[in-house]
Amino acid sequence: MTEEENGSPNEAAKPQPPSSSDMQYYYQFIYPFKQIFNWLNHSPKPGKDMINRELAMAFRSGAYKRYNSYRSVQEFKSQVVKANPDRFEIGAIYNKPPQERDSLLKSEMIPLEKELVFDIDMDDYDTFRTCCSGAQVCGKCWKFISLAMTIMNTALIEDFGFENFLWVFSGRRGAHCWVSDKRARALNNLQRSNIIDYMNVVKDRTANKRLALLRPYHPHIARSLEQLKPHFTAIILEEQDPWRDDAHAMQTLLPGLHDRNLIEALSRYWKAHPGRSSKEKWSDIDAIAAKELKISRKQEFINRLRECKEDLVISTLYPKLDVEVTKQTHHLLKAPFCIHPGTGNVCVPIDENFVPSKAPRLIDLQSEMELRNHDISKTSLQPFLDAFQRQINKLVKEELSNVKRDREEDDGQIVDF
Amino acid sequence: MCRIISTLGELHQSLNLINHSSRQIKMFRQNKKRISSRRHFSDDNSGSQFIMGQPGSEAERRLYDKIYESKLSFYELPPQGEITLDQFEIWAIDRLKVLLELESCVARNKTAKETETIVKPLLQKLLPFNTDSLEDKKKDYYSHFILRLCFCRTKDLRDKFLRAETLLFKLRFNMLTSQYQAKFVQSLDLPMLQFISEDEKMELSQELYQTISPQLQFQLNLTDEMQRRQYFQNERFIKLPFESVIDLVGSRQVFLKKGFAYLPQFQQLNLLSREFAQRLEEELLRTFQHLPHLNEDDRLIPILTHLSTGYTISDYQQYSHEFGSDAQEGEINSQNVYSKEISSNFPLCAKNLFSGLQQHHHLRYNGRQQLSFFLKGIGLNADDALKFWSEAFTARGGNMTQDKFNKEYRYNFRHNYGLEGSRISYRVWDCRTILSKPRPARGEFHGCPYRDWNVDKLTSELSSMKLTSTQVSSVLESCQKNEFTIACTKVFESTHGQTGMEVDDQTHIAHPNLYFERSRQWQKKHSNETE
Repeated sequence: MTEEENGSPNEAAKPQPPSSSDMQYYYQFIYPFKQIFNWLNHSPKPGKDMINRELAMAFRSGAYKRYNSYRSVQEFKSQVVKANPDRFEIGAIYNKPPQERDSLLKSEMIPLEKELVFDIDMDDYDTFRTCCSGAQVCGKCWKFISLAMTIMNTALIEDFGFENFLWVFSGRRGAHCWVSDKRARALNNLQRSNIIDYMNVVKDRTANKRLALLRPYHPHIARSLEQLKPHFTAIILEEQDPWRDDAHAMQTLLPGLHDRNLIEALSRYWKAHPGRSSKEKWSDIDAIAAKELKISRKQEFINRLRECKEDLVISTLYPKLDVEVTKQTHHLLKAPFCIHPGTGNVCVPIDENFVPSKAPRLIDLQSEMELRNHDISKTSLQPFLDAFQRQINKLVKEELSNVKRDREEDDGQIVDF
Repeated sequence: MCRIISTLGELHQSLNLINHSSRQIKMFRQNKKRISSRRHFSDDNSGSQFIMGQPGSEAERRLYDKIYESKLSFYELPPQGEITLDQFEIWAIDRLKVLLELESCVARNKTAKETETIVKPLLQKLLPFNTDSLEDKKKDYYSHFILRLCFCRTKDLRDKFLRAETLLFKLRFNMLTSQYQAKFVQSLDLPMLQFISEDEKMELSQELYQTISPQLQFQLNLTDEMQRRQYFQNERFIKLPFESVIDLVGSRQVFLKKGFAYLPQFQQLNLLSREFAQRLEEELLRTFQHLPHLNEDDRLIPILTHLSTGYTISDYQQYSHEFGSDAQEGEINSQNVYSKEISSNFPLCAKNLFSGLQQHHHLRYNGRQQLSFFLKGIGLNADDALKFWSEAFTARGGNMTQDKFNKEYRYNFRHNYGLEGSRISYRVWDCRTILSKPRPARGEFHGCPYRDWNVDKLTSELSSMKLTSTQVSSVLESCQKNEFTIACTKVFESTHGQTGMEVDDQTHIAHPNLYFERSRQWQKKHSNETE
């Protein structure tokens, strides 16, 4: 990747907050309501998956309107255009249409299903991120997110057997994952929180405690480590270089080691030789251990040191997931293709090769539309729409064959009787 | 309480009523007038699914022998014999004592092994199983069903009861010989116990071994690698959808492949206890729905109510109103909450939140919630709470305007007091809740310092609280064992002039507000003494 593609933080973060008339235009002419409808409905024909689905709207004023639901694409579009929210979020499929909520007892509204969702935010990598801070993001730190996507993809497919999932750019510095498989949608809260626990290997994000994972690693962690290892040198030791800062190294690198004498020796050495790079410090660990320490049980010491280093690779690079978003069926998450109110970026579906600078911005789409005769297919949004449509086709097809299979099984049973 | 021996005709009918389908209720109603002749049930249903028979009769003995053939029961059919009011009460209380002890073990983060050691003597005394005595079997059976009546009424009670009963079930299962375990599993006739073939095991042997090795080491105490390999060689694995053993997924105790979990046989109890809990949960709900039909006079209801309040005595929330009368109205307000007199009673988690709040003039969501509920629990009323938070957030040094506070945070705090939205007055967080929340990230202050702080930070804090180095290392040791509430209790005792005491059920602190209350009481008593 060239330096230019990486993009400087300034360029990528240049905010283009859209005005409310920009948003009006976007909902009126560009937003893919029909596709979103079909994606959430799992069928082109309006069914309960969409009719009973909660959508919530967030407004510029800070107001937030929950429990909207729509019976058709037309109603969906006209209501959103009319309300013109900053963004809207997708919630659970209830046993009844959420718009009827006012006439129901609250206990009668039960969330039944929803896509299994995950949320990765760059914030949670801040301990080891030096290229940008806060809301900024660039091609370098986006590698954290790309790598997280790789790890998650493997686990979702290999461990849980899920096939239909979609990654969506959150618009600024994170990504959301939507798992649409029927089996994932039907998970209850307990199952969801266990899945997030399974995925969340790094629970303590303060990083001043040793991870101390059990050995041998669970196969999921062992496999993830193998996926992360090749990137550790480039991303952490070279690009981010978080431990060049001596104080930071003492706080976040040394506590990861197991041996008090080694920690003291290293901290003496670094005090005497300040400002060594992360790469140098990383190799100092082995060098000092070999040179300075009188170690009685050598093989055991080396093994434990290797384990500490493995834990450190995990704690710096393993995906850091927001727990609350995943845990509950009724939790809301921003819909794909919304405009990020701060940056003006479109929240497009993405893969591991995406970088934030590639995200279409509303302001650009508007001028492209004007230039190209208001033909969306000629704008830079089209490739993302195509990718989304492919995902929907796959999902709908899968869903149809499920329904068919269920029906055949039922028929089969009847014949049996 | 009248101690007369009663035939309790109505009770039996009630128990039936509550635990049976509407069909039977209807039947019951039609025959209401003839209720005094309880024989109605015995006669009409002889040979049916009811448990019956004259007390001590041969039929009854046979029945219970059958139920407890494999020593354990899923309590599927409600009992319908005769018991005395005395038995009703005593049996229930005895079972309750066992459940309470189990709860307390959970609160103290005891391992399964430790719990067994603690509860076993109690179990032997109050609720023996594994015996041939008919009386014991009946006691176990009836007491379970009586407690169902007590604890079906609210979700909290149901959850608590469910947790404790499931734990008891697990504990007892582990106390059985493997022969009886197998017999019991067989008697359940569960469809999902499919073992994988030797070929499949071979193919996945590396992954499977990797997965179970830590458990073999820590749960079965196989410290030697050779032992573990040996065990693995002989172990059989059950393959099933991961949803069926979801409790083991979160802790990564099963290997997952393409949506299937591979459960080692030694973990099958998890499957059973899940099944047990699921069934009990449904039954409790059903009992609850039928409770209004309990045409009861004033003999049983008082016992039931009394028992269910007794059960939650270890729960701070239930007797917080007592504190309310103890602490004078408005004793704590938005100003004096900062005072030394009040803040010196805070547990470390609250102190941590306070210092975070003063440093940043802000707290993130979980921190806000934790502190807001804590303050609510110590008696800060809604008006004062709003004042407290708005002053803290807009204080000089921060950069929040009153306007922004009103717009973004006011709702949150009013909501916590049940003044907005669904208007639930939320319960004050106990340690279990606090420990179940996501751990604090950088710049966050919620959670439990005994879990979240590193050794150095904790040591220096504890030393500044004037703990001796012996006391500090004793606290750290508890932290090491993940016994965070014990650690906190030890700190309480060290700072409140109680030393050398063993942490037991009476003194154990599993609620930050309990810490505060005890500390405050101690403080008041102390200042009275010095006056």
